[in-house]
Formats: sequence, structure tokens, C-alpha cells
Amino acid sequence: MSSIIQVENLTKRYGGKRGIDQVSFEVGEGEVFGFLGPNGAGKTTTIRLIMALLRADSGSARIAGLDCWEKTIEIKRLIGYVPGEPSLDRNLTGGQILEYFANLRGGVDRAYLKKLIERMDLDTSRKFRQYSTGNKRKVVLIQAFMHRPRVLILDEPTSGLDPLNQQEFDGMVKEARDEGRTVFLSSHVLSEVEKTCTRVGIIREGRLVKLGGIHELMDIKRYEITIAFARPVPADAFAKLEGVVEVEPLSNGSAVRIAIQGAADAVIKEAAQYPVVSLTSYEPSLEDIFLRYYERDDTAPIPFARV
Amino acid sequence: MFRSIYLKSLRDYRVPILGWGLGLGALMAVIFAAVPSVFATPAAKAAVVSIGASYAWIAEPIKIDTPGGYATWKYGITILVVVIWPLLAGTGMLRGEEDRGSMDVLLSLPRGRLRVALEKLAAMWTALLAMGLVIGLLTFAGAAKVSSDLSLGASVAFGLNLALICAVFLSIALLVSQFTQERRTASGVTAGILLVAIVVDMVHRVVPNTVWLSQLSPVYYYNLSKPLVPGYGANLGAMLFLLALSGLFGAAAVWLFARRDVGGVSLHLPERSSQPARALPRADWSLRSVYTRSLGMIATSTLWWTLAIAGFAAWFVIIAEQTEAQLKSLLQSSAALGDFLKLGGSDSATNASILSAFFIFMPVLLMAFAVTQANRWSADEEDGLLEIVLSTPQPRLRLLLGRFAAIGTATIFISVLTLIATTVASAATGLSLDYGNLAAASLSIIPFGLLVAAIGYLFAGWLRAAVDTGLLSFLLVIWVFISFIGPGLSLPDATQKLSPFYYYGSPLLHGVQVADLLVIVAVGAVALALASARFARKDISA
Repeated sequence: MSSIIQVENLTKRYGGKRGIDQVSFEVGEGEVFGFLGPNGAGKTTTIRLIMALLRADSGSARIAGLDCWEKTIEIKRLIGYVPGEPSLDRNLTGGQILEYFANLRGGVDRAYLKKLIERMDLDTSRKFRQYSTGNKRKVVLIQAFMHRPRVLILDEPTSGLDPLNQQEFDGMVKEARDEGRTVFLSSHVLSEVEKTCTRVGIIREGRLVKLGGIHELMDIKRYEITIAFARPVPADAFAKLEGVVEVEPLSNGSAVRIAIQGAADAVIKEAAQYPVVSLTSYEPSLEDIFLRYYERDDTAPIPFARV
Repeated sequence: MFRSIYLKSLRDYRVPILGWGLGLGALMAVIFAAVPSVFATPAAKAAVVSIGASYAWIAEPIKIDTPGGYATWKYGITILVVVIWPLLAGTGMLRGEEDRGSMDVLLSLPRGRLRVALEKLAAMWTALLAMGLVIGLLTFAGAAKVSSDLSLGASVAFGLNLALICAVFLSIALLVSQFTQERRTASGVTAGILLVAIVVDMVHRVVPNTVWLSQLSPVYYYNLSKPLVPGYGANLGAMLFLLALSGLFGAAAVWLFARRDVGGVSLHLPERSSQPARALPRADWSLRSVYTRSLGMIATSTLWWTLAIAGFAAWFVIIAEQTEAQLKSLLQSSAALGDFLKLGGSDSATNASILSAFFIFMPVLLMAFAVTQANRWSADEEDGLLEIVLSTPQPRLRLLLGRFAAIGTATIFISVLTLIATTVASAATGLSLDYGNLAAASLSIIPFGLLVAAIGYLFAGWLRAAVDTGLLSFLLVIWVFISFIGPGLSLPDATQKLSPFYYYGSPLLHGVQVADLLVIVAVGAVALALASARFARKDISA
């Protein structure tokens, strides 16, 4: 698989403040690449540098072999873009906005555009300011997909979408992948990336800290289960199980909160020894994961390499 | 300062209080400083008295041969400038916060809507009072150098009267914003109301027996108080009326705000019930390119500005005819009057010379229009509206030049409509004019509008929208000051050449002065080139 996005030692500072520092990675053509990181990590800065909305202090970003800053027009013919905080003319209807961007891009297949509108169930007659957050997001997504771009650059594209439309979006990303198109998807939601991406890069405090296949996320993935029992149970019984990272007894021992990394099989089997009243599981935020996973880490940048 | 909404709002207004207070107060001080040179000889003094009568339509000349009377008369037209900040602050107070989405957060606090609105309104009134006080003190400081007659009380009353008219238009702006979906619309509508109020107040000074009409304008009651004019003083009744008017509009606005949807409007027009549509507007001309879209964006505001500028120009023609009759008799008695009329850059022998003195305001108005358009450009970047446009294969240069070309088209439209309006007005009133020169005077304002837009675009390369607009407005005020008050201060020719108005000349008399106009075109072109170079390389605001 040849690389379509090549980012090498990309650095950006905002005056004295941190932006990103020496970020390097490559994305292969036809790949769905997840770009993960907590809020303020540098995801949007990286994307805006690729989009030539910002000018890099040093380093380079290339798409299809073309420098993102020098050949920005040629590159934008290949790209569909969803910004992190999309803003569009409040007084235009959804239909007017899509028609305007179709004209600016040129060569947009109107039949396909209408299919996308129907698929996302968008009412194009309403003004942008009258749309709900989710509908505003739909307009932005449709304008990114409408010209069947070779590369989709999506900055937290699903925030504000309801589960049905998120599902629809997942389908659109999979279709793009099946057609050999590349998707660069930034997110701070681990499960979203897991669903759609084949490879991920993780950025933290402006530096790329991990780059690898989606399976490698399991190394850092951690979730918590709270189990309530009909009577007090010994918390120690869970502490030594495979995958258990932390156990915290609650309610005088009648409940335990267990942090797990990897499979939960051993924990469930052990819990089945006791009368279980309820079991709840939740995925902590990426910030929580990072805080725990990297709290003792040096976070040195990974050298430029394809994984 | 963060202990209450009142104090936080007051903190937000600290820069405008100081900026506008010091700026407008300094203007008054400068007018007073010019008094000794304006009244240098008895002949010059007599000329001022005579010209005052001719310009009565702008401001009523009472005891204009005294420093206080002269300053009051000269300051008269600045009401248009003085009210701009309160107008913008009034529409931004509630609607602006709703536009930004910050009102939702504010109303999530355990405070009633009524209280939130009242605290903000109280902060605004306090700010105006402080601004009036600063203006009053600077007026006193300026007056003290040329006249010992003016008391501190009179100066403060002058500032207070200004604060009251500001409070009225602030409340009107606040009320209007309860009926509009966006702050921008409310500002436009209130600016229209302000212009109409100023013109309605002027009517009784031009057309006999129309005081009843002028009494409908709040500006009429503002003008009833002239605390700086010896023996005239403040009209307490009029000031109380302005206070009541402000309270009434403010209370109505707050009452409506407490009862409507946040983000909604007080009066809902019936909407057509329709099925969700999937269609695309293929035939919409305004969506075809950056240029046509830019044109569509500014179409409504351009129409309003055209109405105002062309309307003013036609109004100038009508009053020029009346002024002509008065000047004919005055010229016979005062040789100095001829010199004074050179303010407009003309001799005083023909209809064109009288109209020329009025027409100097035309580039000012078009430049004010350009300030608003330059503000929109920088605001669009700040609001993130350029982000997705720049993700399409459109060069940055095309985006900037497309927007600029739309402003160019709008200024041409305004100028041509101004020419048509003045031509019709001159034909209707029978005022004989050289139509070639009239065309030159109307159309040669175009480069002035474009110059301001280009400078605004250049500033936008570095500055945020509010600072860009503030700086551009300040520049405009400085230029107006140099060209309109500078001659009274005997500013050197080199300084007067720094103002673009110097290069407008008197096209009504002498046609287009190509060399002068080329100076403006050249400076504008350089500013636009620099703005383009900066925009092509800059980081786009997130």
C-alpha cells in the first residue's frame, strides 16, 4: 500500500504556546487512519496544517506527493474536509450551502449529492441557523463526501450526531474505504476509532506518542466494571485475575469497581461465584486513559516509520 | 469585577467608555482650541455667523459668535458618530450574546432573566453616564482655555445630555433586537432609525411650520438643551423626556426578552408549513462563485446604504437651492464668507459651489459603508466561515479579491444611484447643474470607498474584527477632523494632504481631478496588494 499522506517532523507553535512538535506519520492509500488524542493535544493543529489553513514552522506535509502548502489547490481537488468546529453562513439554507460548495468544487455529481441528502435525511429547505447541532453536522458531512474525494480529512466528524446517523456515517466511511479512498479521522472517542479504523496515531501534548495497528490499542485500552452483589464479597478474589489492573471495594464490600485491561472473561467467571445484583461497565475517556497510561511515561516521539 | 453580571458587563465596557469618552471629549476640546483662530478678526467672526445661518439645516446656530455657541453648533452633526457605539452595544447586549451562544450559559445560572437583562442594562447606562462625564470634563478643560464664562456644571450638563440621547438609541437598539433573528440586522435597522431621526429633526430648520414633525424625533429634544450656549442652558423638561423615553424603550425590551424564546424573536411571522425538502437551488445566481456569493451577502446592506447615501445627496440638492437664496444676500455683506466656503473646495459663485460644500460628505458616507464591509471580512474569518471555503480548490487570492470585487460593485451601484437621485432632484427643484460635473462628483467617490475597504482588509491580516473596525473608524474620524476642523486650526498643507478628502477636491466645479484621484487609487491598490500578500500566507483563524 503506497502512502498518500506523508507528514514529516511537522512543527507549529502559536507564539510562545505549544502547537505540535516534530509530528511524523504516513497514511497508506485506501486506509482508514484514526488520529486520537485528548482535547488540546494537537489533532486540529495537525489537520489544519495539512489543510494549509496554518503554515508550519518546520517540517512538511504532503498528500499524493504534493506539498500541502505549495500545491494547496491541486491537493484540495482531492480532499473532502470536515472541520472540528464547522461554521457556515447562518442565513443560507442547507440546500443553498451544498449548491454553493458544489459550484466552488466543480464537477459534483448532483444525483449522488441528492442521494447523500436522502441518506442523511436532511431537510435542505431550512436555514442553517434553524438546524439542530446534528443537522448542521450533516450539512458539513455531505459537503465533504459529495465529490467522492480521494482523501477524506475528518476532524471529530460525529460530534452532535445521533446514534442512527452515526451508524450511517460509519457506513459511509466503510464504503469510502471499500472504494479505495483514504479516510483520516480524528477523534477523542476510542470506540469510534475502533469501529472504523485500521491504523491509529495517538497524539498528546503536541507530540505523537503512539503509532500502530488498531489491535495495539488493546495495550492501552482500559475499562471499568462495577459489580453490585447481594452480600459482601472479598475484593482480593478479583485482584489477582488476568487483566485486572485495579480493584476498589464499595458499599462495605457489597460492590466492587474493577479496572480491566484486555479481556474481562476471568472477572465475569469469578463474579459468577457470587449472587450478582447488577453489573455496569463503562469506557473511560481518552483523557483518563492517557492520564493513567502515560503518567509515568516519558512520551518520547516515535521515529518516523511506517508500522 | 466578576462578582455580578452588572460589574462584569461594566468591565466589558471599560475600553469603549474611555475610548469614546476621551475621543469625543478631545474633539470638543479641539473645537474650543480652534476658536481663537476662527474668531481672529471681526470679519471672520461675522463670516462664521453668516455661514452658521446657511448651515442651520445641520445644526441650529445660536449665539455662534461665542465660544460655547460655536462649539455647540460645530459639534452638532457629530451626533451621528456619538450614537454609533451605544447603538452597537444595544444590539449586542442580549442579541449579541444569543448569537454567540453565551446567553444559554448565562441563563443557566440561578438568576431570573429579568434580573440578567436589568443588570446588563444598568451597566450600559452607567457606562454611558461615565462616558458623558468624561466628555463633559474634557469640554470644560477645552473651554477653560478660551472662555471663563463656561462653568463646570454647564460642561457636565452637556455631557449628560449626550449620554441621554445615547441612552435613547441604545434602548431603541435593544428593543429592535428583540424582533430580529440576528444582531447585525438589528444594528442596520437601528442605524436606519437614527438616520431618519436626524433628518426628521432637520426638517423644521429647513421647511417652515414643521416643528410638529421634528418633535417626533428624539434628536429634537436633544437639541433643545444647549448648556454651553450662554443664557440658553439645559432644557430640564427635554432631558427628563429623553430619560423617560430611554426608560420606556429599555423596559419594553427587557419585558419582551423575559417572555420570548432565547435565540427566538418576539414577533413570529406565520411560516409556510411545508414538507421536508431535498431539492437543491440550481438556479440561484448568487451561489455560482465566491464573487456572486459575496455580492449576495452584501446585497441587503448595500440597498439600505444606497437609500441613505442617495437620499442624502438628493436632500443636499434640495437644500442647496434654499441655501443659494440666503447666500446671495449674505455674500454682498461679507467678503470673508467666500474664504470660508473653501472648506468644500470651491468658490461661491454658482449652484455647484453651494452643493460642493455639502458634497464633501459623500465620500465620508461611502467610506463609512466600506468600514462596515471591511468589518464583515475580518469577522467572517474570526467566525470560522472561511475554513470550509478554503477546503475547496479556490485560491486564497480569489477569495479575497472576489469579496473585494463585490464591495467594488456595491460602491459603483451606490454611486450610480446617487447620481440618478441627484439628477432627478435637480430636475425636480429646477436647480441648474453641470451634469458632467455632477457625474464626476458622484462617481469619483468610488475610489474613496475602495481605499477604506482595502485598508480594512490590510488591517484584517493581523487584527481581530473589533480592533480592525475600531482602528478603521478612528482613521476615518481623524481624516474628517483633518479636513473639516484642520483648516480652522491652520494645519499645515502637508498634514491636510494626509486626509483622502483633500484629494476629492471640488468635482462639482472642476470635474474629475485625475491626478488627485490617482493618488487615492494608488494608495488603495498598494493596500490591497499588501492585504493580498498577507492573506495568501497567514494562518487562518480557527
